Amino acid sequence: MGKIGFTTTVPVEVILAAGLTPADLNNIFITRDDPGDVVDRAEALGFPRTTCGWIKGIYLCAKEAGINKIVSVTQGDCSNTHALMELWQADGMNIMPFAYPYDRDRDLLKLQVRKLMDALGTSEEKTKKVFRGLVPLRKKLKRVDDMTWKDGRVTGAENHLWLVSASDFDGDRENFEARLDRFLAEAEKRESRSPMGRDALGAPKESGSPRGRTLRKPPSVRLGYIGVPPIFSDLYETVERAGARVVFNEVQRQFSMLHDTGDLYEQYARYTYPYDVFGRIRDIARQIKLRRIDGIIHYCQSFCFRAIEDLIIRRELKLPVLTIEGDRPGPVDARTRIRLEGFVEMLGDMK
Amino acid sequence: MTRAGMDLGSRQVKIVLAKGGEIALKKSFDTAAFYKEYGSIKGGLLSVEFTRLGLPGRSTGGVTLTVTGYGRNAVKVTGAKVISEVKAHAAGATWQTGLNDFVLLDIGGQDTKVAKVSGGRMEDFIMNDKCAASSGRYIENMGSVLQMPIDEMSRHFENPAQLSATCAIFGESEIIQKMTEGTPPGEIAAGVNLSVVKRVLPMLARFPDGPVVFAGGVAQNAAVTYFIKDRTGREVIVVPEPVYNGAIGCAYL
Repeated sequence: MGKIGFTTTVPVEVILAAGLTPADLNNIFITRDDPGDVVDRAEALGFPRTTCGWIKGIYLCAKEAGINKIVSVTQGDCSNTHALMELWQADGMNIMPFAYPYDRDRDLLKLQVRKLMDALGTSEEKTKKVFRGLVPLRKKLKRVDDMTWKDGRVTGAENHLWLVSASDFDGDRENFEARLDRFLAEAEKRESRSPMGRDALGAPKESGSPRGRTLRKPPSVRLGYIGVPPIFSDLYETVERAGARVVFNEVQRQFSMLHDTGDLYEQYARYTYPYDVFGRIRDIARQIKLRRIDGIIHYCQSFCFRAIEDLIIRRELKLPVLTIEGDRPGPVDARTRIRLEGFVEMLGDMK
Repeated sequence: MTRAGMDLGSRQVKIVLAKGGEIALKKSFDTAAFYKEYGSIKGGLLSVEFTRLGLPGRSTGGVTLTVTGYGRNAVKVTGAKVISEVKAHAAGATWQTGLNDFVLLDIGGQDTKVAKVSGGRMEDFIMNDKCAASSGRYIENMGSVLQMPIDEMSRHFENPAQLSATCAIFGESEIIQKMTEGTPPGEIAAGVNLSVVKRVLPMLARFPDGPVVFAGGVAQNAAVTYFIKDRTGREVIVVPEPVYNGAIGCAYL
C-alpha cells in the first residue's frame, strides 16, 4: 500500500477508502530518535531559524521516509505550509492541496473532501463505509479520554499519545486498535486516582524507604492543555512532578474526532482546530466546566500566528492561563519548567 | 525560632535570617563563586553545606530553611523546603510593604516577573520570554559598553536616546553607533533604562489595577522606576530591600 503523507489532520477516511496508508508527518517527525537533529539539518539547508520547528522537521521527514505524495493543508493550519508545499513541489514531490473553509461552509468543505476522493481515486460510498467502520474505534478513544478526566486511570501523557495518534492511527489501523484494546483492558484495572478531582482522594499514600517514609499526596491540580501538541518531550511528566494532572488535551481530542455526528462531512465541520478561534474557545470553555479544570496551559509554537490568538483566549477564558512557548524538540527548558512549577503551585494554593 | 530564606539567583545567591519580625542577617554571594566555594557534588547534585556559610548550623535545630531561585532544582540544600520564585517574591513583597492587594514587578538578573496579588494571595503571574532584553543583565552589559558604572546608569532618565534593537546582545552595536554619532553617554544610558521599561509595560498592562510593588536588583535603578511611573501613571512602591525580596519571602512563608 502506498503511503500518503499529510501536514495536519485531514479526513483520514478518504485515504483509508483509497486503500492507502495514512502518515501524519508530524507524528513521524516527533517520534523519531533524532527530531532535534532533523531541525538542525533543515536549518543547514537554509530554513530560517525564526520559523516553526514542526515545518522544518516535517520537510525532511517526508523525504527521508520515502513519502512522495502529500496532502498539504493550505487553509486551516498555517501559511508556512504554503511555502513548505512549494518547496516539496520544487523537489519534485506530488502535492495535493486541501483547504478547510474558514467560515465552515458545508458546501465548500464537501467539495474539498470530494476533490480529495477524486485525487486519491476513491468514492464517497467507500469513504462513508470507512467512516461508519471507524465509529467503534473512535468510541474506544472516547473511553481513553473519559478515563483521563472522570477517574484519572489514564494519565495526561497517555491521553495525549492515544489521541494525537488518531490522525493516522500510526499508519496501521488494525494494529492500532489491537494495541488500544490491550491498553484499555490494562487501564480499566488501575486504581482510580481522583474521582473528578474532589477531595475524594483518600488518605495520602505512604511511599519511600521504610526509614525515610514520606507522605505523598496524589496530584490534585487539574489542568487543561490547549494549543497544538507540544514539541517538548517531557511536558506531561514535568507537570505531574509539579503536582498536577492534565485532564484535557484540546487539539489532540479534536484530532481524534470524538464527537459522534453520524455524518462524515459534519464530523469535519464540527472539528474546531482549522476554523476560527471562537469555536475553539467555546469547546474549551465547555470542557473546563465539565472537567472541573483549575487552570489552562496554552502552548504556542515559537513564531506561530496562534500566539496572537492567545490574546483572545486570555480575554475569553475566565480562569488562570499560563502561556508557554516551545521552539525545538527536546525536554522542557529550565525557564519553562519554573513557570510550570510556579503555575501549579499557585493553583494548588488557590484551591 | 530562626527562619532562613535562600534565593539561588542567576547572578547572586541571597540569604536572609529572620527572627520574629526582624531581619537578623542578610548576605549575598556571587553565584558562580558561591557554588565553587560552598558547593560539592553529591549523588549528581550540587550540595551546599549550610554551616560552612558562617550561618547557624541547622543540625542544632531551631532553624528552618526555605529555598527558591533558578538553582533550586539543580542544587540540593539538605532538609530545605523548595518553593517557586513567583511565590517567594510575592510573599517577600507582601511582608516588606504590608500590602495585600498589589501588582508585583520583579526585575532580576535574567528575568522579569509580574504577579497579581489579591487579599495576600497570588492570583496570576506572567514572566518574560526567553530573552534578556528586559533584565538587569541587559543594563549591566550596556553599562560595560558605555564604560559607565551601574549606579551611574541608573541616574539617567533625561532625553533618552531612541534604541531600536530588541536584543540584549545586538544592543551593544547600536550603542557603539550612537556613541560614534556623538549622542551623550547619559542620553544613551537613559535610552537603555527606557528600553527595559518598554519591555515591561505590556506585562504590567495585563494587570491594570492596584499599585505596582517593585522588587529585584533593577528596582534600585531610579531611572527605571521613574519611567514606570511616567509611562503607566500608576503608584510605584520600591520595596526597602529589593535584592533580598525573594529570600525574605522564603524566610517568612
